[in-house]
Amino acid sequence: MKTLNRRDFLRTSGAAALFAATPGLAYSQVMGGGGSFTDYRALVCVFMFGGNDSYNMLVPNTNAEYAAYATSRQNLALLQTDLLPISPASTGTPDYGLHPAMGGIQSLFQGGNAAFVTNAGPLVEPTTKTQYFDKSVTLPPQLFSHNDQQDQWTSLRGNVPGKTGWAGRMADLIRDGVAGQQMATNASLFGSNLFQSADETVAYVMGPGGPIQYQGFSTTPGDILNEQRLAFGRVVDAQYDTIYERGFRDVQRRAIDAADAVSTAINNQRSNFPLATAFPASQLGTQLETVAYLIAARDDLQMQRQIFFVAAGGFDSHDDQNQNQPGLLGGISDAIAAFHAATAELNIDDGVTTFTQSDFGRTLTSNGDGTDHAWAGNQLVVGGAVNGGDLYGSYPLLQIGGPEDVGGGRIIPSTSADQYAATLARWFGIPETDLDIVAPNLPNFVQKDLGFMMV
Amino acid sequence: MIAVRQETWIDNQMTTPSSLQLPHMLSLPPPQFMGQLHTDRVDIWFRNALWGGDQLRQRVAFALSEIMVVSQLGALQQRPFAVADYYDMLVQNAFGNYRDLIEQVTLHPAMGVYLSMLGNEKPNPTLNIRPDENYARELMQLFSIGLVELNTDGTIRLGANSQPIPTYDQEIIEGFAHVFTGWTWRGSPSFGSGRVPVSSQYFPMEHWAEFHDTGEKILLGGTVLSAGQTGEQDLSDALDNIFNHDNVGPFIAIRLIQRLTTSNPSPAYVRRVAEVFNNNGAGVRGDLGAVVKAILLDPDASPAMAMEIDGKVKEPLLRLTQLFKAYDASSASGRYPLVGSYILFGQGPLQSPSVFNFFSPYYAPPGEIRNSSLVAPELEIATEYLSTQYTNYMFFQSFGLNHTNQDLGEDDVFINFQEEMDVADDIDALVDMVAGKLLGGEISDTLRTEITGMLERIPETDTAIRAAETIYFVTTSPEYAYQR
Repeated sequence: MKTLNRRDFLRTSGAAALFAATPGLAYSQVMGGGGSFTDYRALVCVFMFGGNDSYNMLVPNTNAEYAAYATSRQNLALLQTDLLPISPASTGTPDYGLHPAMGGIQSLFQGGNAAFVTNAGPLVEPTTKTQYFDKSVTLPPQLFSHNDQQDQWTSLRGNVPGKTGWAGRMADLIRDGVAGQQMATNASLFGSNLFQSADETVAYVMGPGGPIQYQGFSTTPGDILNEQRLAFGRVVDAQYDTIYERGFRDVQRRAIDAADAVSTAINNQRSNFPLATAFPASQLGTQLETVAYLIAARDDLQMQRQIFFVAAGGFDSHDDQNQNQPGLLGGISDAIAAFHAATAELNIDDGVTTFTQSDFGRTLTSNGDGTDHAWAGNQLVVGGAVNGGDLYGSYPLLQIGGPEDVGGGRIIPSTSADQYAATLARWFGIPETDLDIVAPNLPNFVQKDLGFMMV
Repeated sequence: MIAVRQETWIDNQMTTPSSLQLPHMLSLPPPQFMGQLHTDRVDIWFRNALWGGDQLRQRVAFALSEIMVVSQLGALQQRPFAVADYYDMLVQNAFGNYRDLIEQVTLHPAMGVYLSMLGNEKPNPTLNIRPDENYARELMQLFSIGLVELNTDGTIRLGANSQPIPTYDQEIIEGFAHVFTGWTWRGSPSFGSGRVPVSSQYFPMEHWAEFHDTGEKILLGGTVLSAGQTGEQDLSDALDNIFNHDNVGPFIAIRLIQRLTTSNPSPAYVRRVAEVFNNNGAGVRGDLGAVVKAILLDPDASPAMAMEIDGKVKEPLLRLTQLFKAYDASSASGRYPLVGSYILFGQGPLQSPSVFNFFSPYYAPPGEIRNSSLVAPELEIATEYLSTQYTNYMFFQSFGLNHTNQDLGEDDVFINFQEEMDVADDIDALVDMVAGKLLGGEISDTLRTEITGMLERIPETDTAIRAAETIYFVTTSPEYAYQR
């Protein structure tokens, strides 16, 4: 019998062999059964943690509206001459401008591959300023709080405490249609999140560069390191008395099951089919490059529907906003533009839609050198299936004390996060009858589809 | 008998002097870049956490650092002295009064930078400038009372329409935001940014009256601060206003219980601890020493018959320190420069990604825990990715970073398992010894069987491999990740 030595243990298990997944409870939870889609589609959520000041991302460029903006924002206002003008298809004139660091998105917009959904945010039902103050409508609870509004955007549960996210519910709904997938529909490259939480399916969390493999495991029969892998697995699968051990073990089991198959597939793409598209060397750039390779590996993993969660942080600009905003928004623009170029290189840009979410928009007023937590904001949607080059929803008058300001330049959303989600869900393949499951507040809104996706 | 011994130990711990970070930081030669000193900050954190005589104090300070969070990641990257001194402040207040603690938290420049109260100034309506709400909001939401009214047992109090009752609204946030105006670095040449001496990082912020808003301020429970008060008086009154809110007892009880003993405390357990917060028996509110003692000595903390929801998941950083302590971990240089632990484990000393800590107190993983409306906060950072990283680290720690390795760098932290090697020809004795050091002597049949199976494949003369294999299997097991 072969015995162990230090060399065995310290050699990395780079074996390309793809080991058969051990059948287990957790693995079965991420798989479905029956049905099928005929094409591939992916949604890529780019979450901007901290609350993006999106009224400096997309700025009015007509003189009167710009003047209102500049008066409200004072020392935080961008110069009109610095804006990168864009001409929405619906008007044909350069009525809006982008933050000067967002040249990549300007090009995508002009090329018809990017759209903005304006003044969007969590709502339970349509809400006016009067209704807000006389409390005659139901409001999402804990407005202006980071984690609560992140939860609102990602769960859409209104004032019903939510345990699942709208991506998680979509994964549950299509479960039967993606039976052959070798990986969970939901994959996160930025940790656990409510967005992808579900009742039936379980999201798979990998690192920014993809999954990592276990050291000291092999899959070669007779190899001592294969025995080690099997012994480790038996410890994981043992009976445990507490929910904590079982919860810990469930993650270990999912990690063991997915690591090799997904790693092998993505490494194959990176080694043998490297992308020509260059990604920025940022955290977001790294995540989106990994997503591009995972999408490239979709056939190896038999993927038909995927939802990816990637994110960037640092948007909570209470301080030094003018210094930090170019890097923040430029980082979003550069990474998303590179990602779109990569999907075009892979000839799958029509099947991939990238969209943004963030905690909330920020106050139009300043606290001296930054902004505070507010409500509505503008969101960006990019992809070949986007009815790009246009704005969807109304753009508010950015005036302190104006008709949509509830105080300090906190703007009430005129488009709900539910409408935004439902429009994406319909494109993703969720049946009409199930859209209310994805977006539970949708019945309270007349317009069920904002029109920014091709159908 | 055990309880008496435990109580004596706690009492002794509460009078043991604090092991601090700042004196060590100040003894170091100035680095080329300020941010490099975070490596030394993490080093001294490990030294104190592992070998300080004030073990309980260090443990409670770590718990507090996960409630009243500041982090190296972000604006404090260039302020390592502030971060170290903030931790020292938590250490020194661990058994003090909560009212003193929130005042020192509020005025600490690390918190001032982290939640942007430092430099916060009175409104300037012509420029549409109003006070920064960041600290006001998080102080209430995360450090003291939370979002909704609680009963003394920590359950949510419901209003007339069976809905939770918010503890505050935007008007109250703005009231506190106006209170917290006029504070900046001690010794700063100007109120805003400016070059300040290094020592400003470890002295409380200083008040500049001309930047303080002197108007009326609406606080919790209908309290109104009258116009014209000084900044110091406003601050003191506002912190009293929070301190005396009924939520603080149950809120802090739940947070500390979750950090120290169990993720899902019974309402009775929370009530017993909250009542001690409200009155330590001598008529004092906010006595944290009494609260900690109540948490640790409560019958629910060590039930005779454990239920499947008793206890908690052990955080990865504490899994690491437990291993280090059990195996006398050290490096040739004497340092523990593990500044990248947040990347490796998703957790490191004062390295949270945000003020919301490494994990949420409400996190419930999918499956039985969520379905039962229970929580397991620490599992939020036990993702597939981080779980694998942790397992791989323990692999390298066991097989590579140990005392038999002749090729270690001077800063490599290695464990010493010579005692295990000395008994390694006897598999049962080896497993018993590791279980004794890492599992409190109780090892599951499965884990013992699987380790034994592996050890039988390793020649008894390969004592280091046998020892490493045993430690690797134990430290990566679900039972090691569980704290009862």
